Order: sequence, then structure tokens, then C-alpha cells
Amino acid sequence: MLKRSATLAMHAPSQGTGGAPKLAPGALMKIAVPVVATVAALLVGLLIIASTGSSVTEAMLAFWDGMAGSGYNVGASINRAISLGFVGLGFIFANRANLTNVGGEGQIAIGGMFATAMALHGAASLPFGLAFVLPLLVGTLAGALWGGLAGVLKSSRGTNEVISTLLLTFIALPVVYWSVESVRLLRKPLTEVSSLPESAEIADPTKLPMLFPNDPTSPLHIGLVLFVIAVVAVWVVLKHSAFGLKLRAVGLNELASRRAGIRTGRLIVASMAIAGGLGGLAGAIMIQGQNYYLTNEFSSGYGFDGLVVGLLSRGSPLGVVVGALLFGFLRSGSIAMEITAHVPAAVVLICQGLIVIAVAGSTWLIDRKASK
Amino acid sequence: MTEDQLAVFIGSGLRLAMPIVLAGTGELLSQRAGVLNLSLDGMMLTSAFAAALASWLTKSPMVGLMVGVMASLALAYFQAVLSVTLRANQLVVGIGFNILALGATTFLYREIFGPLSRDTIPGFGKVNVPWLSDIPVLGPALFQQTGLAYLALALVVVTWALLKFTSFGLAVRAVGDDPRAADQAGINVTRTRYLGVLYSGALAGLGGAFMSVADSNTFTEGMTKGAGYLAITAVIFGGWSPWKTLGACLLFGFATALQFLVPAMKLDVPVAVLLMLPYVLALFAVAGFVGTNRQPAALTLAFRRGG
Repeated sequence: MLKRSATLAMHAPSQGTGGAPKLAPGALMKIAVPVVATVAALLVGLLIIASTGSSVTEAMLAFWDGMAGSGYNVGASINRAISLGFVGLGFIFANRANLTNVGGEGQIAIGGMFATAMALHGAASLPFGLAFVLPLLVGTLAGALWGGLAGVLKSSRGTNEVISTLLLTFIALPVVYWSVESVRLLRKPLTEVSSLPESAEIADPTKLPMLFPNDPTSPLHIGLVLFVIAVVAVWVVLKHSAFGLKLRAVGLNELASRRAGIRTGRLIVASMAIAGGLGGLAGAIMIQGQNYYLTNEFSSGYGFDGLVVGLLSRGSPLGVVVGALLFGFLRSGSIAMEITAHVPAAVVLICQGLIVIAVAGSTWLIDRKASK
Repeated sequence: MTEDQLAVFIGSGLRLAMPIVLAGTGELLSQRAGVLNLSLDGMMLTSAFAAALASWLTKSPMVGLMVGVMASLALAYFQAVLSVTLRANQLVVGIGFNILALGATTFLYREIFGPLSRDTIPGFGKVNVPWLSDIPVLGPALFQQTGLAYLALALVVVTWALLKFTSFGLAVRAVGDDPRAADQAGINVTRTRYLGVLYSGALAGLGGAFMSVADSNTFTEGMTKGAGYLAITAVIFGGWSPWKTLGACLLFGFATALQFLVPAMKLDVPVAVLLMLPYVLALFAVAGFVGTNRQPAALTLAFRRGG
């Protein structure tokens, strides 16, 4: 197995290690396209705000305040970025094998639901921090199974993963709704005071430890550390491991890879499972780090935002970090803008749509440069 | 189940299926030409909004319908430019358009209708088919629909005939299966694919407008609720055949209508199960566990002349 991947390595496009630092053909475009698209889309967003007759300055002030107006807001924006970042990392992982995982939202939902179930039933009394680690693991595993299912369908039945992950999302959301609607599942016991369809609050030991326990205003938790670890891990696996190389080979030419002895089916399942697992972990972190109880539609919007982040990063984990921070702050800002300045947060959706279209529509620019 | 409930169930099942039938039938042609138009949902939403707005402004649902279809066609044209001419990833472009349409319609709705969202929009009345609508139970359910519903069924027949009996249909099938060979045989691949996408845009526009000016007489944010995705799966479910696609669309419509029937019958089935039912069916369908599928060989693949 190792020997085979070594032969593959010789044919794989070189990563340009050593020698004078020289950009690969098309590398400049790779960075320029998403940056230009993002800047242009944000300008369009500003124009739209201006066209509504509301004060752009007022909207921007509200936007800034929501993004970074206080230590708490900065922390909340970063927490949001972490969730998007995990989904984005999952996206680029599967995308390395030329798979498009658009099921981030369903994977978050399933992961969050199972993490809640574990935290409420069984994990709370465990020692040595297992109380919060176990729900994280269970959430990750659940997401991995949910994503892996799309991989199995792809490798065994040839089902297009875009369609299957979308459908799995549309199935996952009612499942979460069901779990918080039914007292026999995760809904908290009905009392006279409260009958909201949500789970009970998870116990303190199952919540993620705070990064700055002495600063009660900081919402940052160890999810940030986990995210940094995940970024490094994904980078190492994709760039410097036989597994990453095989993924790349399958992505470039599945038939040739199979002929070269790579078990492509297993690889497809594994990459979708890892993508789903990262989504599930994001869901678990959202519940255990911030929300503390399961609600219907807690995952709303995170899947597509994460997808856009992954798309913009063009396969680079560092790009995911930048994109996740951008959208994490944008989202927080847009919510504040809607509340304070009465400018609909949908403006941000418009910008995101434009970015996706622009980036997808300019791949020919990059391909042309790269094939020269 | 009482007779009334049965009549309501059949009537609402058909009514809910119609937007999916329209969008699905258009999508069928586009996919047969090799373009998976994933922005169907965005097109429907755009048309639903544009139709509602125009109908509200002019007090004419017919104008609304036409404006809705034109808005959807404009979106389809951009989709074709990106996915056919620029050879962008069809699926990613589709998702982009869906996000854009959701954002734009939500934004415009709040800006324009915000304070007067309770207003009903002038919509189409129901057409009673003489004699037939007097049949007990089935009559009112089947033959008291809006004109658009009958148009939808007519368009299924038109699309079937178009694919089967016309040179355009032959070109569409050739382009979807082997664009290179079609090109060598003198068929204009780009033009055929543009027409396919535009056709699906027009029908998705009708489907979206159906939702706002023929069915509910109102617009709500994100009102398609994934109907476009259902239409796409119906095409795959239906094995790229017009009649089976129609069957799949009707199945989805009736599965959705169950959400209203089951509580009315006081059955103890969780709503969530009914909500996910169409998608579970669709998943089984796309996984090939139901029916035999042979997809157009060049589906989602861009064509580059001489490349």
C-alpha cells in the first residue's frame, strides 16, 4: 500500500517545496478570485443598504457593534466562526476527493442532537472530563455516520452526493424537531411554567470548559483550541500523508486510481465520514459550548455558511480560517444591524449568494492559468 | 376517513403537487440536455415573489404570472451563461442562486410588503370543469382547480411529445448523452443546452407563480420550502421519463398533503415523520432502490468544443 502511494507521489503535481519561493501557476488567481468576489459582493451589500434609504453609517455602526463592539461580541463572533470553520474543513476534506458535501447543516443537527442526548443521559457523572469529552465524541460519530451514509450511497449505488447530502439534511431537520417535540425523546418534562419544545439544560460537567474562567464576560471555550487542532490536522493529512495523496488521486481520476490499486470506494466513504464527523463535532460544540440545550433549527444557516467558507478557501485550511472568521463576524454584524438599524439581515445572504456564484463562475480563469 | 376528508386530501394533494409537477417537468428537459439545474428552488422563489408583487401592483394575476415567469427566465439565463458558456460547476452555481434568491426575495419582501404583509394578493380563481366537477367526492377534488393546474398537466404532455417526436427533442437527448457526437452531427450543443435551461426556468417560473398567485394568494419568506429540490429528485426518481416524473411529483404532493390529513383524522403519527416522508422517499429513489434509472450520460458535465 505504502509503496503504491510512493509511486503515485511521483506523478502527483509537485507542491513546490524547496528552491526559490515561486508561486504555482494560477496560485495568484486562486487567492485573488475569492478576495475580489468577497469585496465586490460586500460593496453590493453596501449599495443595497444605501438604496433602502436607511443611513449607511448607522447600519455600519450597528454592524460593527454586533461584530466586535465588546469583548463578548468578539467572542461570540469567534464562536460562530468555529462552527462554520469545522463545516468548511469538512467541505475541503471531501472536496479533495472531488466530492461536494452540501449536507453540513444536517450533520450539525444530528451531531448536536446526539451530543445533547449523551450529555443528558449518562455522561454527566463521568470522571476526568469524560463528562464533556464523551458527548463531543458521540456527536462527532453521529455526524460521521450521517455523512458516511452519503459516501456509502455514492460508492455502492453511484448516487450523486450533492443530492443525497441535501436530502439527508431535509431528513435530519425534522428528526431534531421530533426529538425536541416528543417528551419520550429529548423534550424537557412539561411543567406549568414552561412548555417550549426544547431539551432540558445539560449539566455543568458536560459543558465545555471556558478558556478564560476568570473573565465571566468572555464566551470563548475550548472549542477554539479544538478548532486550531483540527485545522492543523486537516492540513497535515491533506498535504503530507499518503491518505491525503490518495484522496487527491481519487479526486483527479477515480478510474486511474482504482487501477493503481487504491480502494476508491473505501476512500469515498472515509472522506464523507470525516466531513460529516467535523460537521457533527461543530454541532456538539454549539450545544455544549454555548446553547446548553437543544432547540429546533439551532443549526439553521450554519450549513450553507460553512459550505460557502469551504468553497471560498479553495481547498486551503488556512483559507477556511480566514473565511470562517469573515462569515462569523458578518453574521453577528448582520443580526445586530437588523435589530438596531432595521436593515434586513437577508442582505448578507445576498452577498453570500453573489460570492458563491462569482467564485464558481470564475473557475475558468484559474483553470486557464493553471493549464498554461 | 370521511368522504369530506378524502375529497380535501385528494384536492390538496393535487394542489400541492402542481408546483412540483411544473418545475419537475421543466427540469426533466434540462437534465435530458445534460444540465442539472439545481437553482430550481431559487427560480421558483423568485417567480413566486415577482408574481405576487406584480399581481399586487397591477391587480392582475395574469400580469403577475407573466412577470414571475420572466424573472425566473432571467435567472435561468444567468445560470446557463455560467454553467454552459463558462463551464462552472452546475451544482455549486445552483446553490449560489438559491442562496441569492432567498436573500433577495426576503429582503425585498420586508422592504416592500413589510408593513402591509396581511394584504391578500389578487390571484386566479378556480375553474370548474362543467359536468365533471359535479361528480360526488372526486368531482370537486379533481375538477375544481385553478387553470394553472390544468396547464401543468398539459405541459407534461407537451414536454413528452417534444422529447419524443420533435427534432429539438432528439437534439436534447443527443446533447445529454453524448455532446461530442452530437456536435459532430451538427447539433449546436451550447444552444440546445441554453434552451433546456431556459425551458426549465420558464416552467419553474410557472410553478413558483402557482404558489403565490394561484394557491395561497400571498407571499411568505422562503415559501417554496424546498419544493425545487423535491422536483429535482422527482426527475431522478422518475428515471428521466415524463410520465414517471409526473407520478413521482404527485406522490410528493400527496405525501405533503398527509401532514394535514393525519392530524385531521386524529391519528397519533408524529408530524416530523410526515415532514421527512417525501425526502426519505426521494433518498430511496436517488439511491436506486426504487425503479430502474439510467441517467443522461453527460449529466452535469460541461462541454468544450474540440477540448
